[in-house]
Amino acid sequence: MEIDLTLNGDDVTYETARSDTLLDVLRDNGYTGAKRGCDTGDCGFCTVIVDGEPVKSCIRPISQLDGADVETVENLGTQDDLGPVQSAFVDNAALQCGFCIPGMIMRSKVLLEETPNPDEAEIRDALSENLCRCTGYEKIIDAVQDASARMAGEADVAADGGHVPTDAACRGCDCHDGGVDE
Amino acid sequence: MSKTDEPEPEDEADGGSKIEDANPLEWDEAPNNRKAPAERRTVSNREEKDDAKKIVTGEAKYAADYAREFPDLAEAEIVRSDIAHGVVTDIDTSAAEAMDDVYAVVTPDSPEVPDKPYTSAGQSYPEPSPWDLRVLRRKVRFVGDPIAAVVAEDKDTASKAARKLDVTYEEYDAVFDTAEATDPDAPQIHDADDVENHQPGADYERNIEANMSGEIGDVDAAFAEAEERDDLTVIETEWETPYQSHCVPEPHTTIAHRDEDNRYHLISSTQVPYHTRRQLSHLFDVPIRDIQVSKPRIGAGFGSKQGMITEPITMALAEAADRPVMVETTRREQFHAVRNRRPARVTLRSVVSDDGDLEALDMEAVTNSGAYGPHGMTVASAVGKKPLPLYTHTPNIRFEMTAVHTNLPIAGAFRGYGAPQGHLAVEGHMDEIAAELDLDPIELRSRNVVSEGDLDVASGILKDKEYGRRIRSCGLDDCIAEGRAAIGWDDVEQPDADHLHRACGMALTIQSSGVPGDELGAAHIKMNEDGSFILQTGAVDIGPGADTVMAQIAAEVLGVAPADVLVQPSDTDISPFDHGAYASSTTYITGQAVKKAAEDARETLFEFASRMLDEPESALTVGDESIVSEATGASVSLEEIGYESMYGDEVRAHVMGEASHCTEESPPPFGAQFVDVTVNEETGEFEIHDMVYAVDCGVALNPDLVEGQIEGAMHMSYELATGDGIDFDADGRPETLGFRDYDMPTTADQPPMTSIIVETHEPTGPFGAKSVAEIPVNGVPPALSNAVRRAVGVRIGDLPITPEKIKAALDGD
Repeated sequence: MEIDLTLNGDDVTYETARSDTLLDVLRDNGYTGAKRGCDTGDCGFCTVIVDGEPVKSCIRPISQLDGADVETVENLGTQDDLGPVQSAFVDNAALQCGFCIPGMIMRSKVLLEETPNPDEAEIRDALSENLCRCTGYEKIIDAVQDASARMAGEADVAADGGHVPTDAACRGCDCHDGGVDE
Repeated sequence: MSKTDEPEPEDEADGGSKIEDANPLEWDEAPNNRKAPAERRTVSNREEKDDAKKIVTGEAKYAADYAREFPDLAEAEIVRSDIAHGVVTDIDTSAAEAMDDVYAVVTPDSPEVPDKPYTSAGQSYPEPSPWDLRVLRRKVRFVGDPIAAVVAEDKDTASKAARKLDVTYEEYDAVFDTAEATDPDAPQIHDADDVENHQPGADYERNIEANMSGEIGDVDAAFAEAEERDDLTVIETEWETPYQSHCVPEPHTTIAHRDEDNRYHLISSTQVPYHTRRQLSHLFDVPIRDIQVSKPRIGAGFGSKQGMITEPITMALAEAADRPVMVETTRREQFHAVRNRRPARVTLRSVVSDDGDLEALDMEAVTNSGAYGPHGMTVASAVGKKPLPLYTHTPNIRFEMTAVHTNLPIAGAFRGYGAPQGHLAVEGHMDEIAAELDLDPIELRSRNVVSEGDLDVASGILKDKEYGRRIRSCGLDDCIAEGRAAIGWDDVEQPDADHLHRACGMALTIQSSGVPGDELGAAHIKMNEDGSFILQTGAVDIGPGADTVMAQIAAEVLGVAPADVLVQPSDTDISPFDHGAYASSTTYITGQAVKKAAEDARETLFEFASRMLDEPESALTVGDESIVSEATGASVSLEEIGYESMYGDEVRAHVMGEASHCTEESPPPFGAQFVDVTVNEETGEFEIHDMVYAVDCGVALNPDLVEGQIEGAMHMSYELATGDGIDFDADGRPETLGFRDYDMPTTADQPPMTSIIVETHEPTGPFGAKSVAEIPVNGVPPALSNAVRRAVGVRIGDLPITPEKIKAALDGD
């Protein structure tokens, strides 16, 4: 069956099987940022944004999504020009193996759009359907708080996604020699 | 300290001094290995992880992300036993084979499937694990044993076809408990004749995979003396731990195909590419040179990917289907058909003086290997030999371990490698001693614990020769002091409500840095014209940031930024040999190889700079992206050397370096875990206010990454302490089938954590580093159990620690 989507701002039409999930369709068409971790909607590694809401794409049948507006991690920024949530995750070392991170970032993006200045409890509540096995979540919580500050313009966002020259974001680290943070 | 009255035999005294002499405190440390913080260019900086940007853009490629590069890729479904013990008497594959788009159905009789025993344990050669597995199995030993596989155009078709297989079993009695399994009348799980490479003490008629024991001093004499003397106390405790799932984010995935040279190429989520290549070669009787194993980004391992699990069946299916095949395990398979942390029962007896001096420790561990033996002997050994070195000064120590088979899922390697099970017993026991003798638990430990300069003999307790390990760095005192202050040990305020009781508990922890005398790491580095470098190592970065640390080590030697050292992911065709990512070895072993390789390249840089500056090499030093004359201040940039080395008029030679590293040293990192808890004595419910872990990992080469290891490991350690593990019904069928059934902490229920880094300097490690990846997983179960004991006076020694158990203990049930 044919499905029309707005995918990362572009109108696309995909030929899909009736039993396909949104995750199947995304990954088959090269959008592999969303990861397959359980196929039961329990890990959140496949989280993307559908019509403004965070959605676990592994349990969302594609047949229900004709005409939907879908955003994936591929839309948020490039390595040379990261989005604020992405650069906050990088600068707070909020990632290890990285398998959960695209989903975690998409979930965080929706949270920060709906609640621009969340407290820690709100972040923990919002992210509780996205698992991470490597970090113990500590630096991820830091990153979301930092992203909130960046999006509010309270911190200088490094244009290259590099270190931010404030004590709060750097926690006393030494930004490498020759790096230009502005 | 009181000693037995008998004089020590002379040969033992001589032996002791021989071990002392063989492990002198002095160490011939390489020049410039010890740098004051101000002298460091990049080590101990919070450098950005080299793959961070591609991870946050979704561009980092894991094994399954390579599927799109193989247009004719087939996918597979593995058919697994749904009984716990028996024999497959018939498999009717005809209905599956008749389906459209099914390329092949394989069984143990298929010619593509090797029919000889092997071990999945990705260990050194010959593997210290029994060869008791077959790729597909006629005799089944747990619910989940692979008996057949279907390969088809896509996963859905393969799954549908798999359901059409008609399997007939002859079912046997099964046994699920280690105590029952060793009974002579218990069902026998393995026939000894079907297993090769038996491990020490194997007794398959009693389902014993391995049994070993060792003794230092005379433990029986110490207990006999304790019976005679009023100033010696005997204390006995028992401990039990459940199955734990690694919950690796990325399910085990392998793509196998024949390349254009007709060689086997595997893209696989593995911690051990080289061991896997060797083991596949032996299993399939294919020359090692005809197999290439490539490691893409890995969605974490924690030991589960130190197992060759999906690779053999994928390779067989690629042959059977005559096209590229991907096997991507499901989450359900991850929970019961892949690998887990093995359950353990540990008993510990001690003799201790009224002053708190340990006179004897007698430890016995029985571990549940599950149905097969990968890592069974080595993990069961580690239950004792990992934690006991904390108290190596105890004059009499005995340890016996037994690895037992049951008809439950296969245990394997798991971060900590037996040490978490052992730490619960040893560090829980220390608090029982403190409580019995009314001593402060920290003072009791400080009185007995190992310290810098000491010779550890306890880690060699199972060796058949005398063994000692010199402790050249130990920051335990500082770990205790800083952790104690951070948790507020000395000023716990009781809640106003009478039924709430607050207390702190603590536990010391220890691990190793690599397997002494075993691990080999190698590195190769080459310079580009622009003064940047390409570093090739077999270090297997499975997520923690090993590649970043390797770049930092090379950059420190060569005077460049870490970003100027490009680290290639390990690939058996390209990378120098490496044992792989396990045993907390990568930073310590491979890191030292990288340092030596960079120093090797630096010698060639000096040769060129000497000619270009007309200065003797002895006058040269490394500057910022340059080589500088200390005599004149003149310098030449690495870029100038790069062009000169490749296109110059005088001498042309590629600036490269290479080195290997293998050592008998395995310095332990140390740490102190603290937990602050309030327990409700009416309900048994408890709230953890903070978990503090202070670690001595030598020089932390990248504090961001070290903190990441501490926090992630404490999360797992907390789960082991409080989670339900994996449940089975009375027939051995798993009831934990997915994340929904498993107590993995989320952002909403993970208690607060504080990580503290205590810097020491390990003279044998690269720029003073020791390991850190495993040690923080050891501490929460004993520290939480001790905290509950101190809060409400009851001991929960069988994990998980739950409100129900605390309530039952308080009620005296």
